[in-house]
Amino acid sequence: MELTRRQAIRTGLLGAAGLAAGGTLTACGGGSSSGGSAAAMTLWYWSGGLSPSVVTDATKKFASQTKLTSSVIGGDFKQKLLTTMTSRRYVPDITGIKGEDMPAMLPDADRFVDLNTLGAAKLKSQYLSWKWAQGMTTDGKLIGFPIDIGPTAMFYRSDLFAQAGLPTDPTTVAAQMKTWDEYFAAGVELHKAIPKTYLVDNAGDIFTAVVGQSGSRFIDSSGKFVGDQDHIRTAWDTAVKTVTLGIDAKINDNSWNGNIANGTVGSVIGAAWHALDIEQAAPALSGKWRVAATPDGPSDNGGSFLAIPTTCPDPALAFQIITWILNPTNQARGFTDEALFPSTPASYTMSALTSGDKYFGGQKTIEVFGPAAQNIPNQYVAPADSAVSAPYYNQLINVENGTSSDSAWSAAVSQAKQIFAQQGGS
Amino acid sequence: MSSSRPTAQAPRESKRTSPRMRIARDTPRPSRARTPSGPAPSARRRPGRARRVASFWPQYLAISPFYLVFLVFLLIPIVFSLYLAFTSWDGLGAIKFVGLQQFRFLVKDSTFWLALRNTLIIWVLSTVPMLFVSLVLASLINATRRFTAFYRIAFFIPSVTSIVAIALFFSAIFSENYGLVNVMLHAMHLPTVDWLSDAWTIKLVIAILMSWQWTGYNAIIYLAGMQSIPPELYEAAKVDGAGPIRTFFSITIPMLRPIILFTVIVSTVTGLQSFTEPQVLFGSSASVNPNSGGPGQAGLTLILYFYHQAFDNNNFGYGAAIAWAAFLVIVLFTAINWRLVARKDR
Repeated sequence: MELTRRQAIRTGLLGAAGLAAGGTLTACGGGSSSGGSAAAMTLWYWSGGLSPSVVTDATKKFASQTKLTSSVIGGDFKQKLLTTMTSRRYVPDITGIKGEDMPAMLPDADRFVDLNTLGAAKLKSQYLSWKWAQGMTTDGKLIGFPIDIGPTAMFYRSDLFAQAGLPTDPTTVAAQMKTWDEYFAAGVELHKAIPKTYLVDNAGDIFTAVVGQSGSRFIDSSGKFVGDQDHIRTAWDTAVKTVTLGIDAKINDNSWNGNIANGTVGSVIGAAWHALDIEQAAPALSGKWRVAATPDGPSDNGGSFLAIPTTCPDPALAFQIITWILNPTNQARGFTDEALFPSTPASYTMSALTSGDKYFGGQKTIEVFGPAAQNIPNQYVAPADSAVSAPYYNQLINVENGTSSDSAWSAAVSQAKQIFAQQGGS
Repeated sequence: MSSSRPTAQAPRESKRTSPRMRIARDTPRPSRARTPSGPAPSARRRPGRARRVASFWPQYLAISPFYLVFLVFLLIPIVFSLYLAFTSWDGLGAIKFVGLQQFRFLVKDSTFWLALRNTLIIWVLSTVPMLFVSLVLASLINATRRFTAFYRIAFFIPSVTSIVAIALFFSAIFSENYGLVNVMLHAMHLPTVDWLSDAWTIKLVIAILMSWQWTGYNAIIYLAGMQSIPPELYEAAKVDGAGPIRTFFSITIPMLRPIILFTVIVSTVTGLQSFTEPQVLFGSSASVNPNSGGPGQAGLTLILYFYHQAFDNNNFGYGAAIAWAAFLVIVLFTAINWRLVARKDR
């Protein structure tokens, strides 16, 4: 980065020399990758992106066919992948792609092998159809093979719910808080009974969940901006309600962990992987959290894919490796090792998922996440989706800090339109 | 960006313009370069000059690492980013030339103007008090006879401390619920402040952070300048009956003008490039909406906005346009400051 501060002036030479050395080292490490022979293959993923033990087993299993080297890439994974793919040197033969980066990769589908040409269609029925569609271009090329998904649920503090006279059993909670309005009404009671506790961590999370529940997002599949339409406005109004009802803890900084641990937050609408975040933030609250279905239905948040860049010397073998790593049995192992929620429904009946979770008081959380995973609506996510959605989140923070909902909404829509136009939309 | 370069030469240029010019005129034609036959045909002179250049190869080799690294890591990226500013590129696909479209959009982009406003406010809030406090500190250290090495090291340490570490530390100090500042305000029965939520306090916290880090650095530069002021001037002032305040304003400040010019230019160039501070303070780890600059985007600086567009949105063409706009802003303010501070020399 040449755009740093004063240090760069004084240590610029040193830093650049360090970069050069680092580059050389990396080059040596990955040097065998794009040599054009299948004698060796490289696999890139990020820490927590795949189960390391499954990857190790894959290395052993395919040892007779290729020498598979895996690299856990730290830092900004997407940027490192883009940089190597642009330079066309040391490109991994198999690479992870995060779910949020996938839409932006799809326009460059020609840089990846279309997995349908390798027989992916045969396996389609084993994977969740909405997830499968996310790795596919509009003209039907399959670029990403599903790793994990992020089905949402409502995580709640059963002890605090009990204190406020609310139901505590997951089935009853789900039954009594079927809609957002019912959930928020419970939140008002919760806050009244325990003034320091709020129902939700921030309005943005509710907005994300409600947008995910609808059939479309900010840009529709024909490339038209729809961020000013009813489904987004509904999500906006639902999120704003938490502010007007006073049940929003308004946590938008890095104090989330502390606020989870000290009971400021009574419930969280989050994906399956939030379980681990909560557990790490508040180990002392073990046994007090439970999981129930998301009000008004599940949505997806997170999850990722494996892909094969076109530089791969033996795509057929790479595809074999991918499908082995991501078969239902190994996805169940991924859940045990790294809390990667499987994209293969067959895994949901395996013991790794059906055993109770101690942190959640022994609750079998799969009973909530399993049905959620299969009921997530299929949404088209445009390449510019995340850029266009940013103003809504910024403006929701403004609403949390006192701006009126209507003026924040118009500002969000007009900024989103600006970004949409800048990104080449019409 | 090339903006990192003018720093080292700044004070010298303002002070000794004429000797430098003379050297510059002399160097291309050192005495042994003149051929006795006068104006020789250029065809004969060229191989000779090339041989002379070649005869200095150890010297050229010795300085080459800097220029090679400069070429690869600065000059080529700078030129490439200028090209990118006229294109639309997602970092992976084809680079599409779009002419001035990115700049046309930039002018209409309300977020860009917000970022520019934020950057200028943070810069003024940090630079003006920082340079003043630095001057006072430097004259205090200059007047001190004991533990001077200790003071110098103590003042210099913040500027060599990791800015990320400092930013994390500041975010803890100014945290709304458990921050040290609010705990102290509470203990003194004063109302607590939501430091990291309000548009002005966000800028103030970033400015305080920057000042804390660079005050000592500037003080050390001023101190070096003060120690080169001839003591006779101070003695003469004393003889004339000037007090310490009068001496400070009539001797120290005027004699330090080239040094002040240097610090003002460096502070302009770097202060307008604030990035890490808001990035660490408000760079949410969430995958939705990263690097937005905090509540109300009050901490969104030009460079953070450039980073967000290029590296979060994969919008490299637009990112490059923002970076070049930031460069022009920095050049403009550097020029204004140069005129303001150097005015009396001319």
